[in-house]
Amino acid sequence: MPDIDLLKGLAPDEAERVLALGRRVVLTTRAELFHLGDVADSIYVVTRGRLRLTLPMQVRSREEDVLVEERSSGQTVGWSALIPPYRFTLTASAPFETEVVALPREALNSYFAAHPETGYAISLNVACVVGQRLQLFQAMWLREVQRMVELRCA
Amino acid sequence: MEMLLMGVCLSVFGLAVACLAFGAATRDSGEATAAAPAVETEAIQVAARPTRFFVSPPAPPVAARTNIPIEALLLQIENHVRLEQAAAESFLASPNASLLHSRTMSTLVN
Repeated sequence: MPDIDLLKGLAPDEAERVLALGRRVVLTTRAELFHLGDVADSIYVVTRGRLRLTLPMQVRSREEDVLVEERSSGQTVGWSALIPPYRFTLTASAPFETEVVALPREALNSYFAAHPETGYAISLNVACVVGQRLQLFQAMWLREVQRMVELRCA
Repeated sequence: MEMLLMGVCLSVFGLAVACLAFGAATRDSGEATAAAPAVETEAIQVAARPTRFFVSPPAPPVAARTNIPIEALLLQIENHVRLEQAAAESFLASPNASLLHSRTMSTLVN
């Protein structure tokens, strides 16, 4: 089992118990895990392979799914399942055979109610994942704005 | 008498041709005078550009290269996103203005 960002700070047996709440899902090459706008009721941990996170973009009057981010083994995908309005804001697909553990929100909430320390640790880990994404995209956005300014002033 | 008349006719014809030629020449030179400053300005601009030895002239932006197949364009976008992520991660590892605005090698914007 790889280092899993969602389970950092948990004892190995506690991490196993959390993972046992989920179910393994194997995605074949190019299979879609979830689609933009779908109801998000599970958060996913990548245990093998890779996921491509994409958003639609108009390229020469054609709608194309453009890569936004990639997630690999040990990383968490689909935190929209824990945050209202519980809708996926990206599409996730596997470029090749990939395995994930799907952790349903209901099962996690029940477990956290019974084990608040685990809930606290995992909430902090989710906050880290969300915060890192925010900082990363903030920097990427600013770089694009800088380029636009340079083009405008050129 | 006939020889004299023929000479006069030839002289008049020659004068007419000379006038037409003069008129045409004068009109051409007027237009050329109007166009000259633009040509001259462009020539000065070209001459004033800094010489860049051993450096190829910049390629036109991707938007101008409309003959690129869409698959290649999508690959360029994907490569651009990866490079930008790597640049953003470098900035987050050591936040400072120069890393935030580091130049990209992405062919999408160069």
